[in-house]
Parts: sequence; C-alpha cells; structure tokens
Amino acid sequence: MAELMSSSEFRVALEQAFSGTMAKDASFSRAWATGKLHKQHFVHWATNHYHYIGPFGDYLGLMYANTPDHARDAKDFLLQNMYEEELSDDRHTDLLIRFAEACGGTREYVQNRDNAMPFAKGMQGWMYYVSGRENFVVSSAALIVGLESQVPSIYRTQYPTLINKYGFSEWEAEFFDLHITSDEIHGERGYQIVLKYADTPELQQRCLHYVREAADMRFAYTKALYETYVLPDLGPWVEEDEREPALVG
Amino acid sequence: MPRIHFKTADQYVEFAEGEEVNVLRMAIREDIDVPWQCASGNCGTDRLVVEEGAENLDPPRRRERARLGELVDEGYRLACQTYTRGDVTFSWDPDQVGLDDEPGGAGGSRTGWAGTG
Ligand code: FES
Repeated sequence: MAELMSSSEFRVALEQAFSGTMAKDASFSRAWATGKLHKQHFVHWATNHYHYIGPFGDYLGLMYANTPDHARDAKDFLLQNMYEEELSDDRHTDLLIRFAEACGGTREYVQNRDNAMPFAKGMQGWMYYVSGRENFVVSSAALIVGLESQVPSIYRTQYPTLINKYGFSEWEAEFFDLHITSDEIHGERGYQIVLKYADTPELQQRCLHYVREAADMRFAYTKALYETYVLPDLGPWVEEDEREPALVG
Repeated sequence: MPRIHFKTADQYVEFAEGEEVNVLRMAIREDIDVPWQCASGNCGTDRLVVEEGAENLDPPRRRERARLGELVDEGYRLACQTYTRGDVTFSWDPDQVGLDDEPGGAGGSRTGWAGTG
C-alpha cells in the first residue's frame, strides 16, 4: 500500500514518470532537430498537431467544469490557460496554420480531419476522455504535467533548427517561440496544482499512472509521425553516431 | 551550483550545473514575488533589470524584442522569455504593471525603471 509522499518526493516521482519516454527523443523529433526533414513532413506534422491540440480549450473547459469551487486557484489557472490558448494574442491554432502555410500547406488541408493519422485522432480522444472523466487533479497531471510541461524541452531543440537549418523566419516559426515560454509557466503552475490537491496516496498514484500514460501516448504518436510520413522518404531512423562510417576511396 | 539572485526579493534560487532554466518558472516554483501576467511576452509586467551575469542569458527572441523595444538596450529582460545557464542577478520595481497599463505607456514609450544600481 503506497504512502502519502511529501511535496518534494511527489514532484521527483512525477518528473521521473515521464523522463524515460520523452517525445523529444522519438525518431520524428530527432530527425527534426538534426535538420533531416522536408517541408512536406512539416505540413503533415502541423496537420496532425492541429487535431491533437486544436481542442485544447475544450479539454481545459471540461477540466474546469470538473474542478470544485473550493479549488478556486486551480479553476482560475485553467481559465487563464484557456484564455491564453484562444484570445490573449494570436490564436494558437492560427500560429500553427501560419507555420503550415510557410511550408506549402493550406488552412483547408490542415483543418480537414481526414488528413490526420488515426494516432492523432486517438490522442484527441484520449484527451477528451481524461479531461471529461477524471478527477481534475488527475487530468491536470496528465494533460499539463505529462504533456504541456514537456513542450519547452521539445521546442527549445527544434526552434533554433527551424531558423538556422531550415531557414524559416522568426515570424513563420512563432508558434514554437510562444510555446517554449508559455508552456514553461503553464507546466510549473500545473505542478503546483497537482502537488497541492493530490492529497491522498490513491490520488498521487493515479496522477503518476496518468503521467506515464500521457508520456507513452505522446511518444507513440510522435513515433507514428515518423513511420507514416518520413520512413518512406528517409528509411529507418538511425542516430548520426550509430550510422555506418562512409566508405572512403 | 549556479544561482539566480532575485535581488529585490532578497532571494536566491540554485539550479543544477549544465541546465538552462526559465527565470519566471524558477521564481514561481520558489514563490518569489516577481510580477507577471501573461507568460507569453505580451504584457511586459515581468521586466527585470539584469544587474550581473548578462553573458549567461540566452539572446532575446522576436517576441521579447518586440515587447521591450529600446528597453533591451537598457539592460531589461522579460522573466518569462529568459533562460539562464549561469549566475545572474535581477532587480525590478515591485509595483510595476504591464507596459500597456502604465500611464501613457502604450506604443513603446519609455516605461522602464532605473533599478537599484
Ligand atoms: S508575463 Fe507578460 S510578458 Fe512576461
């Protein structure tokens, strides 16, 4: 029977729960960060990403409705997060479409659900399920700690590559710049909510379970992006230092 | 271990050697009272004066440059947009508000603060 962890022990456990399967280490992310992708791959990425995170305001709205009034700080955080996704500046999905258009895609193509992989639809369904059906602490752990807080580590590697290797302008790649920093703060505030309100051993264990599941889901989704769109062009992913040395002479 | 000195609050936050950390995230994690609102480079509420250690910070990206304008050259950074990989000291005006909320502050007019020197 698990015991109630202290706040600092629980934070370490949450961090460890996703550290083995971080999406930044998946083949698609590695190919991206090392400058191997073509613009058409990015159109597919943006299209799938649109269907995965496009309803993020919906997910947060479901979590908001599941959060009791006494957790006012948690409710306010969810509301603020929703506002920032949709209204405070450029709508985040519009920045995503701006990037797709810079790669030769169109708004219509990106928004057409038929162009997304089953994995992206599965990811979307999983997020609707967790946000709609789980305790708000558990869904905060899954969606905000498990997924949103991973974003800065992914985009901090990918953003400089977009500018320096692929030649995008900062304006075209603004979607990434924005999320590097806003998701740092959302992720941190998500941790605070989870650390504060997961106040039984059962809730803490359920949060850990869902953080692991979230990390597994995102890793599998990112891997599927490679297998669906990149594998036919570049073959199986091999890290640079594991490639056969080129024959000389 | 490298550390961030939040001078106005008289607090330090340490982080692991070799890491790069977001300044506002560290302040929030340790309950340090740095003013902020949007966390996305829009409002400018979290502008800090870099007193020491500017060489340890990553360069400002587009959103931060656009929001701060000439304040960048005067040594300001936005906590939410800034990462550090080494020792750094920041100060700020504890009563500061967003750049567009300052009296006559919208449109890039001078809204900085002289720091503590
Ligand atoms: S908090 Fe608004 S610009 Fe940093």
